[in-house]
Amino acid sequence: MELSDSQIIEQTLEGQPDAFNVLVRRWERHIYGLTLRMLGRDDEAKDATQETFLSAYRNLSKFRGEAKFSSWIYRIALNICNTRLRSRARVAVSIEEQYEAVGFEIAAETEELGSDIQREQITRYVRRALQALPAEMRQVIVMKEYEGLKFSEIAEILGIPISTVKTRMYTGLTELRKRLDHLRGAI
Amino acid sequence: MKGNMEECGMHEALMSYLYGEATKDEAARVEKHLNACASCKAELEGFERVRDMLQQWQVDDLPIVRVSVDGPQRSFFSVVKELFAVAPLWAKVTAVAALALLVLAVTGTEVRVGSGGVSLRADLLRRQRPALQTVSVSDTANLEQVRAEVKGLVNTLIAESEKQEKEELQRQLQALEAQLTTARSTELARLASRIQEHQVKIQTIERDIDRREGADLTDILFGELAKPTANSSVAAGGN
Repeated sequence: MELSDSQIIEQTLEGQPDAFNVLVRRWERHIYGLTLRMLGRDDEAKDATQETFLSAYRNLSKFRGEAKFSSWIYRIALNICNTRLRSRARVAVSIEEQYEAVGFEIAAETEELGSDIQREQITRYVRRALQALPAEMRQVIVMKEYEGLKFSEIAEILGIPISTVKTRMYTGLTELRKRLDHLRGAI
Repeated sequence: MKGNMEECGMHEALMSYLYGEATKDEAARVEKHLNACASCKAELEGFERVRDMLQQWQVDDLPIVRVSVDGPQRSFFSVVKELFAVAPLWAKVTAVAALALLVLAVTGTEVRVGSGGVSLRADLLRRQRPALQTVSVSDTANLEQVRAEVKGLVNTLIAESEKQEKEELQRQLQALEAQLTTARSTELARLASRIQEHQVKIQTIERDIDRREGADLTDILFGELAKPTANSSVAAGGN
């Protein structure tokens, strides 16, 4: 029978540090997915994932059992992402990033591309469109779309009302629609 | 900028509906609105397309996460407690005795074992007070003598220092005088040399003038001397 997150945490705190690796294996894909979509850069997302688990491990004794471990570790990951996003030099905006801010056009020959290349291209545009969103909208969309969390769970993680989560979601999707609607023929 | 659903006051309900979290009543309300509002319906279709596009971005690779498993950070006291629990009895007794000694030493406690038994006296506060000293008459005399010696020593040192300073000043003065004398001599020699040069030049000019004017004068003089004879004869003959 598979141990619950709380049981693994108990074991770790009781002096079985290897037990924590079970938690890492269980949640690393989710955390990496979250950090990658929040930060938009693979290498930075990997560093942030590592940092998230290290921080969780070091602060495990502070984890209160009343909240879900997943909510707790998502919150740590989001804090790390937000810190990294804030520290990014705003002056070093590449031409590509400037395009992200103002919108961009898909190549005219999209329909003629192979499905893999087409998917890759759409992914690139999706990645850019997400990066162009304010972090507060992006994190809601990422948690909803990719992590499949309920609005109530997102609200708990972010410590905001559910109605605010839904408003951010709606505004974010409206922005994305404006930026990605020219791809409609490619899907 | 507000979207259609926001203007219609349906955006929160639409989000619940879009993600399958709407209650039965909520879903019915949204569907009813969508049947009546074409722009909201178009917006919903647009969101569904966006969702399809978002799902195109899937994560393929995974980072290798390594967390150093040295055990979570524990406090010093929890480590000591655990160590104490597993230690043998003699180690526990020794540790307690050592701790007691440490406490006694830190608090400055005096332990006396005598005929009256064992007595303990905590000396922590007394040790912090400055110690008072009694001074006797003989000590005062000695103090005066030492003071006089120190005074004499200080005076000697001051006198030596002054003497050295005076000598240094004297030396500097002499050096300056020597420099001045040298400078004067050089200047005088230069002036003398220039005067001599000018004298030579004047003499040369005088000689030159003498040479040029002297010839004419000689001619005149000798001419004058010679002419009277000739002139006188001419004059005598003429007359």
